[in-house]
Amino acid sequence: MSRVVFDRITKHFGEVVAVDDLSLEVYDQEFLVLLGPSGCGKSTALRIVAGLEDATRGTIIIGDRVVNNIEAKNRDIAMVFQDYALYPHMSVHDNMAFSMRMRHVPREERHRRVLEAARTLGLDTLLRRKPAELSGGQRQRVALGRAIVRQPSVFLMDEPLSNLDAKLRVQTRRELIKLHRRLQTTFIYVTHDQVEAMTMGERIAILKDGALQQVDHPQNVYERPANVFVASFIGSPAMNFFHAELQSRGDGLLACGDGLEVPLSAAQSQALAKLPTPSVTIGIRPEHISLGDAAAKTDQCVLAAVVDTVESLGSEQQVTFSNGESTIQARLDPSPTLREGEKVLLMFPRERLHFFDPETGLRIEDR
Amino acid sequence: MAVTTAEPLPRLPLPGPLARGLTQLKSLGFGMLFLWPSILLFSVFVFYPLIKSIYLGFYESDPLGNQGDLVGFDQYRSVLGGSDFRHSLWITFQFTMYTVVPGIVLGLGLAMLANQKLPAISIFRTIFASTVATSVAVASMMWLTLLNPTTGLVTWILDQFGQPRLNLLNDPDWALPAVALTTIWLNLGLATIVFLAGLQSIPERLYESARIDGAGRIGTFWHVTLPMLSPTMLFVTVVGTILAFESFGQIHILTRGGPLDATNVIVYSIYQDAFQRFDYGVASVKAVGLFFLVLGLTAAQLRFLERRVFYQ
Repeated sequence: MSRVVFDRITKHFGEVVAVDDLSLEVYDQEFLVLLGPSGCGKSTALRIVAGLEDATRGTIIIGDRVVNNIEAKNRDIAMVFQDYALYPHMSVHDNMAFSMRMRHVPREERHRRVLEAARTLGLDTLLRRKPAELSGGQRQRVALGRAIVRQPSVFLMDEPLSNLDAKLRVQTRRELIKLHRRLQTTFIYVTHDQVEAMTMGERIAILKDGALQQVDHPQNVYERPANVFVASFIGSPAMNFFHAELQSRGDGLLACGDGLEVPLSAAQSQALAKLPTPSVTIGIRPEHISLGDAAAKTDQCVLAAVVDTVESLGSEQQVTFSNGESTIQARLDPSPTLREGEKVLLMFPRERLHFFDPETGLRIEDR
Repeated sequence: MAVTTAEPLPRLPLPGPLARGLTQLKSLGFGMLFLWPSILLFSVFVFYPLIKSIYLGFYESDPLGNQGDLVGFDQYRSVLGGSDFRHSLWITFQFTMYTVVPGIVLGLGLAMLANQKLPAISIFRTIFASTVATSVAVASMMWLTLLNPTTGLVTWILDQFGQPRLNLLNDPDWALPAVALTTIWLNLGLATIVFLAGLQSIPERLYESARIDGAGRIGTFWHVTLPMLSPTMLFVTVVGTILAFESFGQIHILTRGGPLDATNVIVYSIYQDAFQRFDYGVASVKAVGLFFLVLGLTAAQLRFLERRVFYQ
């Protein structure tokens, strides 16, 4: 059993609240990603698990033990730091063997475990080298190897890929997924990169200003973001938001605002009718917008807009439109090629809309 | 895109050998422009005296200090091989041992204390480093007072324990350690500052990593702090050795080389030869000897210790 439980964890640094009443259970053998912008408290949360910081309030449980008063070295965890924190004066072998040496593991056993980890990570020819003689990717592997040889029940990773170049990052991402599958231990992985979070996490916990916003499977986080922050943080380019007023029309509701006029479905009308004030924040993802024509179907929302900028990525074009007060981002097929200043009709399906309470920012479930 | 539309770059004329030579000459002249102040200073205060000393070493001096007969290498052979120089060399060696090793240990200890994250720690840092701003004369006078056999602090402490009073500076066995103590105190500020700088350049992450790896305080010091400080250690050792070899002021004020030549280090014996006996020939020979000794020792330290040094 190597679950990790944050039970109402709060951490203050003087006046600053780094982690704010965080309650979260990381399941045994789970790959959980802590995601958020820089300064959201995700690294602090991880360091509290590692025992490098003490929580101001709350309980931290690893396995079945409350570990608040247990030293870092006795928590049965291993940590991979962003800058790897390899001992620069030790060889790769000694770096990997250091924790075992401190625990008085016999020399042969140390050597055996280092060799085994080195072989799986492709480091076996580099064991005599010093960290300075390694590339960034190799150093990253040594940092991983150093964690693996300890056979911990929880792996803690603090943005381990952020010092790698883009290509290596993609490759290492896959290797980490495989590693997790092979080791069958709990991984807690901190990142600000939503792509890493989406591709690697079995669940993602999103933090903002030290507070947990949502914890769910990546697809759920994408499809049903819990609030405006999560909706805007996950997805690239970010979700478009419109402010709309609700009006009665026939037996349903009509959302109007920012040049938008959306006839809502029965289910949507019913959900939005519960709002205290007749206004709503509407979100639509850039990838759900397409170019439309005047003969659009009635359950499609239509919006007239002017092309502002076009960024062509080859496989698609990312286009920024403006319609008076707001700007809209869309990911469109590469053809037809749009020109700046061109007037177009944008179309998006009604069932792809997200609704949020404009007061609280919370999602309004319409399904 | 830009490649096809941009104006072609104007082609520079290829430099011929003459043009190249001229350019090199220009850059040499430009470099000299920056160098001449230090070349001038070094020439006046280092190169000229060094050459003059080597030259004077070839001549005997008469009792009035005038340049006497040319004796060539004979004087070098007799002075550097003589018992007088050997004695000074032995005293200097002992003095170096007494000052460098304890200086490193104490300097590192103070630096580690000053490296704690405590409120108002900068006050302690300033105090620990303050001997840097103390002149040799002031420090020597201070210690002369502390070591005074009738009114000094050391005497008072001995009295408290009912021990017989000691006249440290007049005791041939104790004079050198007493002067060394003053020197350690005097050089401690520098060592502390340098070690503190070294400690502060060690990334915090390494300590955190060591904590998770299960290294205790001693393990962390031994396996992280010390190896990471090795370049600092080399620097402090080399500079400390040179400082020990060059010590003069404290010896002049505290013991004048005595008692019974017990503190007569090479530099002090040079002073005695040159300015008390007016034997510039012998003094020059010793000075040249000291120069090559320090040069050789420093080269050896850099060569042998550097192998154990890890540079990041």
